[in-house]
Amino acid sequence: MTAIEPLRGFPSVTVQFCAPDRRYEPLQPINIRYQIDLPAGSTVRAIERSILWYTEGKGEEDLGIHIFERITEPTALTAATAAGGFTALLPRSPLSYEGLIVKIRWCVRVRLFFAGGRDFVSEHVFDLGRVPAALSRPIASSP
Amino acid sequence: MRLPRFFAKKRGDRRTGAEVWGSIGDGLFHAMLLLAGIAFAALLITGVAVPEWRTHHHFLEARGTVVGKGLARRAVPGQMISTWQPCIRLRYSTAVGLQEAWALLDSPVSDRLMAVAALESTTLGSEVACWHDPADPRVVILERGYNWWMWAMTLLLPGSLLAFGGAGVARTIATWGKSEERQAAAGFLDSNRGEEPTTAARPGVPPCDDLVNSPGTILAFQLPVESGESWTLLGFGLFALLWNAVLIVLAVNAGLDLLGGQIDWLLMGILVPFLVVGIAGIVIFIRSLILATAVGTTQVEISAHPLLPGGQYEVLLGQGGSGSFTSLEMVVELEEQATFRQGTDTRTERVVVWRAPLGSWQGLQLAPGTRFEGRAVFHVPAIAMHSFASEHNAVTWRVVIRGRPTRWPAFTRAFPVLIYPLPPPSGERLLNGGMP
Amino acid sequence: MTLPTASRHIANPFASRHVRPGGLRPLTAEAELRDVPALVAKIRVAGGSAAIEGPHGTGKSTLLVAVAAELASAGRLAGTLQLRSVGDCLPALRLAWQAEPGSTICFDGWEQLGRVGSLAVRFLARLRGCDLVVTSHRSAGLPLSISMAGSFRLLRAIVAALPDHGGLIQDEDLTAAFARHGGNLRESLSDLYDRFEERARQPLRS
Repeated sequence: MTAIEPLRGFPSVTVQFCAPDRRYEPLQPINIRYQIDLPAGSTVRAIERSILWYTEGKGEEDLGIHIFERITEPTALTAATAAGGFTALLPRSPLSYEGLIVKIRWCVRVRLFFAGGRDFVSEHVFDLGRVPAALSRPIASSP
Repeated sequence: MRLPRFFAKKRGDRRTGAEVWGSIGDGLFHAMLLLAGIAFAALLITGVAVPEWRTHHHFLEARGTVVGKGLARRAVPGQMISTWQPCIRLRYSTAVGLQEAWALLDSPVSDRLMAVAALESTTLGSEVACWHDPADPRVVILERGYNWWMWAMTLLLPGSLLAFGGAGVARTIATWGKSEERQAAAGFLDSNRGEEPTTAARPGVPPCDDLVNSPGTILAFQLPVESGESWTLLGFGLFALLWNAVLIVLAVNAGLDLLGGQIDWLLMGILVPFLVVGIAGIVIFIRSLILATAVGTTQVEISAHPLLPGGQYEVLLGQGGSGSFTSLEMVVELEEQATFRQGTDTRTERVVVWRAPLGSWQGLQLAPGTRFEGRAVFHVPAIAMHSFASEHNAVTWRVVIRGRPTRWPAFTRAFPVLIYPLPPPSGERLLNGGMP
Repeated sequence: MTLPTASRHIANPFASRHVRPGGLRPLTAEAELRDVPALVAKIRVAGGSAAIEGPHGTGKSTLLVAVAAELASAGRLAGTLQLRSVGDCLPALRLAWQAEPGSTICFDGWEQLGRVGSLAVRFLARLRGCDLVVTSHRSAGLPLSISMAGSFRLLRAIVAALPDHGGLIQDEDLTAAFARHGGNLRESLSDLYDRFEERARQPLRS
């Protein structure tokens, strides 16, 4: 269970992955369960749940959406804002990659939109594939 | 352009921010451009295109007799000059009887004498072909034709405004108040929800169409070269050509002045640095050309493409040219590329994170018309990272050839290869070892 | 052996997402937190327009983002724009056109517009009754000039404000990076990025 310390005035989102080490293989299903604790008096007008990859490193961040869902219908919203989950089949690529200046990370994002225009996003990283980290100097390997 | 997300405060892995109002002003601005484009197009169509069309389809042909000649004078507003337009008075038959009217003979000019000279070509009493408007027989013209440049303007100028304005309005509507995930998912929202990804889909992997459309002579595929030598040569050539063309024009002008007994010192002053740069451009281009042709072309062929982790592929190096080579080396590299903003510049940083030698040959002697061929086997590591490309970041594989000719400078030529991600796991993979 | 997720990911504190403008809070050359509300008030007193001036990598864009955020929270921000070349004149003029009277537009890279472009945008902004806050490498001719300068103390404060580097970066690394890049903070941070990556991977190589 991924726990995040709640800060005063901010929502708290806990996420549970079906894989205890949060490592998945391509084309493997991923099952996410989450729980949201809202500050008193806050009104959520929409929730977005997504599974995506993004790049990190020296370059500008790029983003690729795998699964995206937006809930605005009041009945579904009430339920989804308290707790929820979703299942998806992960793609073949891009694999998670720990490069030197380019890193590729996969994550689950839960974004809450509040009345008044503010939004809150919670991000939880997992791994797709088992590509090891690049080393800091090139290695010559014999064919 | 990506604006800084100044509303976001990052705490650990959480971000909170205020939703910025949709860009009402942005939409209004583009709407104004759209309306301006529509108005401009309407003006051009009604003022130019429609009248021209009418002259071709509605005007009636007649034979007109020249009964007078004259000049139409128009004062230029705000200035003490006038324009003069030659006109002739015609008598011609219409459905309502004989008609006399003025027809414009030529375009307006500022020189009255030129306008008078234009009238000399027309004789009183002569007959000319003319066309009149049946709706208003007093309107008569001497020529019919389309002003193609005006038609181009009709399309180009308002077309640009319509395209820019329309696209802006559409974009404003499409992205109004949406999160970055929602914008990025715009193509996925309705099509992918609930659907399983196909096993064939490889998001983030660059397409290989350009890499597999060239068959090899010995192995299955010939890889395209990535290096910029050709472009450098072309660039130098174009620069030398254009620069020296301008130089010749200037030199001819200076020469003509000189022959006429005049010396334009400013022109002569400009000529000197132009000449220096022009000669330097030619020298650099010729040198680059000699280098490119003397060293010869390099080809790389591969037995299959794209590649898969754990696979084994034969690689063939073909090196042309003549003369001797101290060494030829073939390696495979994995390179990361990251593009980022550095102030107002955009920079791309490249780092090779893995390199493996495929083959090395020393002391080669190439006879003219022959080609050296070297073969090697590329074992793709089982845990290799696949090729990846996004807007600002990339992970690319390349076969790199490094040659050291005896008499010429060393060269490096790179040939991109594509490695696909593996299908679902088969066998064990190592977590450590450092091999991508 | 399966490593926990946190260990598998080398979270570089000098990655672009942390050091880009907006990712850091603006500091003075003396490494003190800038009082952005006071600065915005000072700009307002001076007439509403100001230029943040200084050499490369001294935090101009970072300060501009903070000023823009402060203006936005007061409901006075018309928009922000990154200028890269004289071709950005049209979007700049568009912003000036759509700005409401009394609002402020923030431009990053003012000198990219060139003399004519900047005059045109200033003229249109004045016509619309809105103010400009810009970054520039040289004097922009606006009523208030805010000078920026890099300093080693500032670099050290920035590094302290970034996510924890786990002791992989020492003071001498900062000194070397700062000296190597002539006080350019952006280049220094890029240098530290490489240094962090190299050291974070040493356990993987052994």
